[in-house]
Amino acid sequence: MADSDEREVKFISLMLSRAVSGMNAEVCDQCGKCSSACPVSKEIEGFNPRQMIGKVALGKNEELLKGEAIWTCTTCLKCRERCQEEISPYDVILILRNLAYRAGYNYPSGYDDFVKGVKETGFISAPQSVRGRDGGRVTRSDLGLPEVLGPTDMELFRGIVDGIVKAGKRN
Amino acid sequence: MKPVLVIGGGVAGIQAALDLADRGLKVHLVEKSPSIGGVMAQLDKTLPTMDCSICILAPKMIECSRHPNITIHTQSQVKEVAGGAGNFDVKVLKEPRSVNESKCTGCGVCSQKCPTKVRNDWQEGLADRKAIYIMFPQAVPLTATIDRDHCLYFQKGVCQVCSKVCPSGAIDYEQKPEEIDLNVSSIVVATGFQEYDPSELKEYGYGRFKDVLTAMEFERLVCASGPTGGHLNRPSDGKLAQRVAFIQCVGSRSHKKGYPFCSSVCCMYATKEAVLIKEHDPASEVNIFYMDLKVFGKGFQQFVDRAKSHYGVVYIRGRPGEVRMNPVTRDLTIWYEDTNTGDVTSKEADMVVLCTTMIARPENKELAEALGLELDEWGFFKPLNPLTNPIETGLPGVFICGCSHGPRDIPESVAEASGAAACAAEVARRFM
Amino acid sequence: MKYTLYLGCTVQSEQFGLEASVRETMPRLGVELEDMKGASCCGFPALSSVSKVGWHYLSARNLAIAEEMGNDFLPLCNGCHLSFVETMHYLEADPDLKNLINTHLEKEGLQYEGKVKVVHLLEVLHDRVGEKKISGELVKPLEGLKFASHPGCHAIRPSDIQKVDDPEDPRKLDNLIKALGAETFDYPEKIDCCGSQLAVASGRTTLKIAGDKLQAVKSYGFDGLVTTCPFCFKMYDGRQRAIKGALKDSSLDVPVFYYTQLLGLALGFRPERLGLQLNQSPVDGLVERIME
Repeated sequence: MADSDEREVKFISLMLSRAVSGMNAEVCDQCGKCSSACPVSKEIEGFNPRQMIGKVALGKNEELLKGEAIWTCTTCLKCRERCQEEISPYDVILILRNLAYRAGYNYPSGYDDFVKGVKETGFISAPQSVRGRDGGRVTRSDLGLPEVLGPTDMELFRGIVDGIVKAGKRN
Repeated sequence: MKPVLVIGGGVAGIQAALDLADRGLKVHLVEKSPSIGGVMAQLDKTLPTMDCSICILAPKMIECSRHPNITIHTQSQVKEVAGGAGNFDVKVLKEPRSVNESKCTGCGVCSQKCPTKVRNDWQEGLADRKAIYIMFPQAVPLTATIDRDHCLYFQKGVCQVCSKVCPSGAIDYEQKPEEIDLNVSSIVVATGFQEYDPSELKEYGYGRFKDVLTAMEFERLVCASGPTGGHLNRPSDGKLAQRVAFIQCVGSRSHKKGYPFCSSVCCMYATKEAVLIKEHDPASEVNIFYMDLKVFGKGFQQFVDRAKSHYGVVYIRGRPGEVRMNPVTRDLTIWYEDTNTGDVTSKEADMVVLCTTMIARPENKELAEALGLELDEWGFFKPLNPLTNPIETGLPGVFICGCSHGPRDIPESVAEASGAAACAAEVARRFM
Repeated sequence: MKYTLYLGCTVQSEQFGLEASVRETMPRLGVELEDMKGASCCGFPALSSVSKVGWHYLSARNLAIAEEMGNDFLPLCNGCHLSFVETMHYLEADPDLKNLINTHLEKEGLQYEGKVKVVHLLEVLHDRVGEKKISGELVKPLEGLKFASHPGCHAIRPSDIQKVDDPEDPRKLDNLIKALGAETFDYPEKIDCCGSQLAVASGRTTLKIAGDKLQAVKSYGFDGLVTTCPFCFKMYDGRQRAIKGALKDSSLDVPVFYYTQLLGLALGFRPERLGLQLNQSPVDGLVERIME
């Protein structure tokens, strides 16, 4: 087990470092097509995919990893769709997030909740009872829906997920 | 001396033909469309002097037609070429006009009476023409031609109104394609360019939104000989366009959709078109959305400076992300980032002009095969050496000029045409 | 036509009203659904931002289960669909990644080979079932009603790896709305994002992004909004009250439906069979009109 962990740690490390350099940020003309399509750029002044790619191109990744901006992308993919140099700020941001998590920088706590949910139930959360429009509570079985069965061997599954996430945390 | 062949009747081909003819050489000027003139005849004004384009070109076109040394072959294409420098055997195929060129006076009555309307490509689709038509008012030759694909007689065997009304009896439905054999000493290729079709850049709405135009469409709209007499009435509802936005680099500087190269002249022609709008209506609002301003030529930077300070054209550095249309007002909204200030915002416009890239004509491929010339990956003719021999090709006796080998403006095309003519003349004399 | 059904976290734990509408309507259109055993979250966005390998692992294990089952794979959520398509794309491009993930899958007795076909609900309904069949089955055509189509970002982008619909001018959901006898038309904000994925980091901005769209939809005179993504649905429907608060627009009342809910009404099914009692947006008026 320890060996495969090490292999995984190295794999993730290499994958992430290659990923950013493979994304052509240096080719960016700074034209602004990505930022003008971005719904978040419209609203938040600190978020601008064009500037982010500009920083990556100049090797200023560390600045981005420490900041809040990379966590504010809404994954709409318009930047990737529109960029005429085939650069994807969305993909760059995703890798930067992984790198920031790895480096131990701040990130929204909601992601911890997601991981916890998946480890405990196999999903982000277990089925709940939901309040209808009339105020009454409704469950899956109230609507005649089948029970949700997650991974058959939850302990095994939990261990695997835990292992992968932890491997991504180590340097 | 043997004659010289000039392929392409745009401003470059015309210049080359005149240079050669004035030197005493005979010239065969072969042009695919019904008239010489090329794209320059379609433009409203030229830059930076803002002269009327056809006014400058037409005298040269007429000179070509009247010059004793020049034979113009319109509706003609080079099909086969054999031999080498000093001795080229060329087969030219001439498509029939179905009109006797020596009898037609260019009166236009046939066109008036013809019942069939067809998209007018010369007016960039903004107007219609008839199945029998004269290409444009200053056409050389000023001769009608029948578009057999749309003519009722050729398609269904009916009508024939044109032959009934023609006062000169010039209609000749029996005309056949003609093969013309030429023996020439040298060849000048001046086939020009065509405009990139921006339909695939769907985010700009070309094709979906009627008031998003290409630059050529705009030239026709603003030109006095255009469909609206030069008034900026936008195609969708005729509303006068007082707010116009230009988007640069459409189809150029792109590795995804379009071409990676810079189209060289668009920054300047956008400035020219912007100034035109301001001259028509000083109260109009004109914005040019650019990535870089290519002002490499003589007088170019000054022209842009004047556009900004004297005319009030606004330049915004930012390639717009998308153009949207309000379904009710039909007004357009351009979303962009002003990359100088970092503001992500939008601007409203009545009309958007996409400054499209100059790309190679598809006919280059067939012509290159016939001549035995190489094309580059984008379909342009390849020079022998772009630095030291830019108008020679891999074949002795064959020269290229103008946009046949890449985007360039009128002065450059004309200079190259003279260069190609000189080279071609030298070959002609060498093989006397 | 038989599909392996993948519900996704949002649908099965919370938006199961939408699931009810899918299960109810599909048999009428000749579509058979087979449930999975041992499914898990697809990993997007649960793990993708902190562990790319973890993300692809989760998607790959669901794909592996589906591969064994043999049918084409039908997720009900845009995000899950994109997750599966992206994972297949990355695993194909990087054999080392694929091997690493398979060593984990082996522990559960699973193996990913990349042979399963992932389809989107829009593809099933528009391309395979077809508008004609749907129109032919209508019991209560939605005449006189206008719905805004919201296909959602993850259904139409990125167009280099998924071709569900045109990324700039998507028409399939529009056509499916028309197939129900209702009207729709193109509007500028159609391809805009709902903003859901931003909720984890910035709640306020999410609400503003979603709210801008709802306001636009209302301004064009649409009777309601239709989508095929439970995540988008949750934002526009479940969080409409919060959106109204954030935008200080108390009159912003837009009925929001998942497509199969409207489909069910038009096919003559009762609202409670389609989970409509769980919609939080003001759907009652429209439902009554349709049921008359």
